[in-house]
Amino acid sequence: MTGEIIFNKVTKSYKITKAKYGLLRDAIVESFTRKLKRVVVPDNRAVALNRVSFRIKRGESVGIIGRNGAGKTTILKLISKITYPEKGEISTQGRIGAFIELGAGLHHELTGRENIFLYGAILGMNKKEIDEKFNDIVNFAEIHKFLDTPIKKYSSGMYSRLGFSVCAFCNPDILLVDEVLAVGDVNFQKKCIAKMHDFKKEGRTILFVSHDMEAVRSISERVVYLEKGRIVRSGNPREVIDYYLSRAKETPQNEL
Amino acid sequence: MKTWILELWHYRELLWAFTLKEIKIRYKQTILGTAWAILQPAALTIIFSLIFGLFLRIDSQGVPFIVFYYSALLPWTFVTTSISFGSLSVTNNSGLVTKVYFPREILPFSTIGAAFFDLLMGSVIFIFLMLLYGITFSPSLIFIAIIAPTLLILTSGISLILSAINVLFRDVKFVVPLVLQIWLYASPIIYTIDRIPDSIRKFYIFNPVAPLIQSFRDVTVLGRDPNFKELSLAILLSILIFLVGYLFFKRKERIFADVI
Repeated sequence: MTGEIIFNKVTKSYKITKAKYGLLRDAIVESFTRKLKRVVVPDNRAVALNRVSFRIKRGESVGIIGRNGAGKTTILKLISKITYPEKGEISTQGRIGAFIELGAGLHHELTGRENIFLYGAILGMNKKEIDEKFNDIVNFAEIHKFLDTPIKKYSSGMYSRLGFSVCAFCNPDILLVDEVLAVGDVNFQKKCIAKMHDFKKEGRTILFVSHDMEAVRSISERVVYLEKGRIVRSGNPREVIDYYLSRAKETPQNEL
Repeated sequence: MKTWILELWHYRELLWAFTLKEIKIRYKQTILGTAWAILQPAALTIIFSLIFGLFLRIDSQGVPFIVFYYSALLPWTFVTTSISFGSLSVTNNSGLVTKVYFPREILPFSTIGAAFFDLLMGSVIFIFLMLLYGITFSPSLIFIAIIAPTLLILTSGISLILSAINVLFRDVKFVVPLVLQIWLYASPIIYTIDRIPDSIRKFYIFNPVAPLIQSFRDVTVLGRDPNFKELSLAILLSILIFLVGYLFFKRKERIFADVI
């Protein structure tokens, strides 16, 4: 069904390399030593998600909470097919509007206007669709005066507003929002949350990652609490948030 | 394969948007702007005409040196720009690759598209030069309609392979300029293909760029038909490279966001 997300025993880990990326030299040396010594060099891997299963129904709004590195963003990236699982299956239906990181899909050298068209295209909108929504996007983002300014001159708040607006008007069946609203001022945050409430009313699916418990409580019908790549609790927002906060208090930072 | 093509078709507007972006960005904050697209082959043409034409007296088969060299440097510049920008296209857009979804081959394809725009700009100058030097346009010119698309397919294939490898190993960044430099001499740019001894020519034509550039020169300034046998081989090799490149790229694509 459109707007549905299913995770079935999804596992994802990342290889930890010393350098940011591999060198050809290292790869050759490594494969030789493996062959010569006939030992399996253990991969240094960090598990981001460990056999995670859940199902989000059409029109449901779900908040994901947990400490840094618990695997929240990885879930969003897996849903939007930026990255792929090692094990398990993921199935999603419908157009996905993912607003995962501030300024993703925006290009510094281009103007606000050009960026709306570029980002719109990235999100799968065609020119006609963008033309129709153009004014709504500009109004929502409050960037009229700077439409023809390269966005490298924009403030971080303007960046965030522009990005969220294009996403919000791309008419997604599933909206994924990561901790990105924190950058905007209070007024804009309120607008975004109001927009997400509209989404809910329209029967769209929302997945919302945040450290702002107030925002999570206000938007979500259900909250999922992740710890070290596993779902620890899932259910009533108030209960799960209270549990998370009490866990956070009793365990020191480095153990979770 | 079919699903890939369908998806690419679905994202065709993005390919167009990225190509426009690529063209706009490349010349932003430069004084001469798109004139750079023309200056590159033009500058080399002048240097080559002086050194290889005037000083070394290389046989240009009766064609004025300026147009003789420009006719090869124009397609050659397309090959170098598309491969050098194409091979970096995925890593240069790492911000996009790690944060938004779209078929990744759009990145190398759009850089090829931008290089093709440069080629078109350069062609305008080429037509102007041919008129200036009084070179007659022969009916063979029609074969451009085969040569140009083959160049596109070939450079796309190479860029697909290199851009995927460059995600894993940044060594590509250093290899490409070196190889392109050697490749210049391994292609009939400074000289015509007739100068290659037959014993070597058998192997020489396995460089698909060689028959393509020779044909380009044949049908434009030399006003004659291309060597169809050699051109067919180049077309075949180009399609093969493209298919291999596309498969390779799609296989590696899934890990781009994790290792970039």
